[in-house]
Amino acid sequence: MIKVKQKDLKIIVRDIHDYNYNQILIVGCGGCASVCLGGGQKEVDRLCAEINLVFKAEQRPGRATGYTIERQCHPLFIEELQQMIGQYDCALSMACGAGCQYMAELYPGMPIFPAVDTVSIGIDRDIGVYEERCRACGECVVGYTGGVCPVTRCAKGLFNGPCGGTNGTMCEVKGNIPCAWVEIYNRLKEQNRLDDIKKIRPVMEWQNQYQRTLIQDR
Amino acid sequence: MTTQNKPDIDILKIREILCEKKKEVAVSLKTCAHCALCADSCFLYRCRDNAPLYMPSHKFINSIGTLYKKKGKVTRAELEEIREIVWKRCVLCTRCYCPLGIDIPSLIALARRICRSQDVVHDFEKEKKG
Repeated sequence: MIKVKQKDLKIIVRDIHDYNYNQILIVGCGGCASVCLGGGQKEVDRLCAEINLVFKAEQRPGRATGYTIERQCHPLFIEELQQMIGQYDCALSMACGAGCQYMAELYPGMPIFPAVDTVSIGIDRDIGVYEERCRACGECVVGYTGGVCPVTRCAKGLFNGPCGGTNGTMCEVKGNIPCAWVEIYNRLKEQNRLDDIKKIRPVMEWQNQYQRTLIQDR
Repeated sequence: MTTQNKPDIDILKIREILCEKKKEVAVSLKTCAHCALCADSCFLYRCRDNAPLYMPSHKFINSIGTLYKKKGKVTRAELEEIREIVWKRCVLCTRCYCPLGIDIPSLIALARRICRSQDVVHDFEKEKKG
């Protein structure tokens, strides 16, 4: 699922201060953002309390109100905001980038600020511990890399690795991360598919990336 | 999530939310023919060995239906039962299909909204702890 992380409170407050907004609506998302404990109802309530404390400490008349909808990326749920959003000076979205942008699209007159950073599509290693596994590049190659994504796991995103700077079994860019291509090698070796690693794969076409729209035609 | 140290249920607030979609809920409950055709469109129903508890109609009747029939007069324990239905048995993928046109996802979402208004929400932290 998509993983989000709350921005630093100072940054969130700075955004509000810059424009002197007083009535703030904090909108949570009941989807992925809730699951990763980054932008669900609990987190909305907490951020709300923190911002109200800042307002109080600065003796400002402002007030933050929290509201969580089921998903910010779906029209059925986001329309719930229609009745209330006009009462606020700005909104803070605690959904992923998609949810935040969708809210901004539906309510173009309302300044929307992200209160979270969308970090990754990842797995749940433990409570609150998430590891990135996918960058939604749109052209999955893990079938020939033993289920290890070279786009996500290799610091250089190499399709025909390793790079030559492999530090033992670790990445030369960041020493505490295993080299993706060592993992790919080991995995393929275990599966007797080392021939796959010798095949030269075309590099990813990163240039001219445009917005993708998906229509499932089955 | 425990019932201890929680404020009483705000029945007026529940009624206020119910009132917003009163007609939609009433018509949906009246319209449902219990044909069970919605069941096959629910992937959770199918992957849970066709357990009736996962039928979309069962889910909306026993969540928003209960709230509507009781006019919002529910206990926290009842609301927590509803929470289990609307969070644990439904992911709100919005793919369920009713041949009679009942908008099941919006009804489940309404039940979730009522639960949220009473601070009865699914605890994802607890879920991961198992």
